[in-house]
Amino acid sequence: MSTAARTPPVREGTGWYVYGAVPAGEASVEAFAGVRGVDPSAGVSLIVEGPVAAVASPVPLAEFGAGAIDERLRSPEWLEDKVRAHEAVLEAALRGSAVVPFRFGAIYHGESHIRQMLRDHELLAPTLERLRGAVELGVKGFLDSARFRASREGEGPQASAPGGRAYLLRKQRERALTEDGRAFQVACARESHEALTAVAREARLLPLRQPELSAYEGEMFLNAAYLVDTTGDAQFRERFAALESEHWRDGVDYELTGPWPPYNFVEDDE
Amino acid sequence: MSTPARTANRLPPATLSGREPAQLADVLERVLDKGIVVAGDIQINLLDIELLTIKIRLLIASADKAREMGIDWWENDPFLGRGRRGRLESRIQRLEEAAGLGNGDDRRPDEAEPRDRDQQGP
Repeated sequence: MSTAARTPPVREGTGWYVYGAVPAGEASVEAFAGVRGVDPSAGVSLIVEGPVAAVASPVPLAEFGAGAIDERLRSPEWLEDKVRAHEAVLEAALRGSAVVPFRFGAIYHGESHIRQMLRDHELLAPTLERLRGAVELGVKGFLDSARFRASREGEGPQASAPGGRAYLLRKQRERALTEDGRAFQVACARESHEALTAVAREARLLPLRQPELSAYEGEMFLNAAYLVDTTGDAQFRERFAALESEHWRDGVDYELTGPWPPYNFVEDDE
Repeated sequence: MSTPARTANRLPPATLSGREPAQLADVLERVLDKGIVVAGDIQINLLDIELLTIKIRLLIASADKAREMGIDWWENDPFLGRGRRGRLESRIQRLEEAAGLGNGDDRRPDEAEPRDRDQQGP
């Protein structure tokens, strides 16, 4: 039973915001020098419990307390600012050691509550061990339909017949190209994912982003995350570059992001 | 019509040493949707976060497309802006209605199903 739901609103004093967990023996606060927390006036601390330490920073409950934070959450600007701070702290952690990223919004009233949470989550230590020496890289694939069509020019029936017949042939060709494009996306997503998975420790397929939520013109056909050895990074990028040059003429644009803290390689049941 | 801006918009491959500042959509996708969920002392209405995430993503998408096309119709031209933006706005509205947030302040957080964030359950 959690008592969290019945905590009355607290609007004064200080709480703790927790970003993630790191191995206590390896992490040091020096890794966070100059890094600001979600409250920009506070630096980052490590709260140690056994083999694991929480990466945390103090926050004013007037802003992050029960009730108060719900008001802040109505502002996209506020959320963007805090989400970026969360990411920046975890990136600093990643430079020093393995890290288990927590989802946004783990806020505690005191250090003893954080220690209790670290004790309750017994899988933190083995997960940190599993993630040691690796980072997450993100790969997306987009298909530019104009370039795809151009690459398929000259294939299929030619629309050289006169009048209405030419129109029908053109329509037929349009339909065939659209179907080809879809089939190509499926095949290319599979091929790319298999090629990259072969040079990664672990891999996850992520949901494709809806077109209106994507900043790109092309149609997204691949969205994936790879857990890559920091030492095997060159090999991964070689494989990525090979895919890029192989499929550029087909109209494919790939995007590589990261290194990220391994957000996609920690499970909720920990 | 292939615009040079489209290629410019694509990030160069990130490097493990010196990386490009991460794009907001990628950061949101991870910080808000991934990572382990631990039950903190403060309960956050996660539905609020989801709606905000959608709004932020829409803002990014609109701004980037406008820049790509060299125009800002979505801000200045209500007629041209109606097509795409109108659909997005009605999408937000539908989501807000579904979430019971339709009337701004007239909001009842207890109506929103909080996601199961307590992993210490039975």
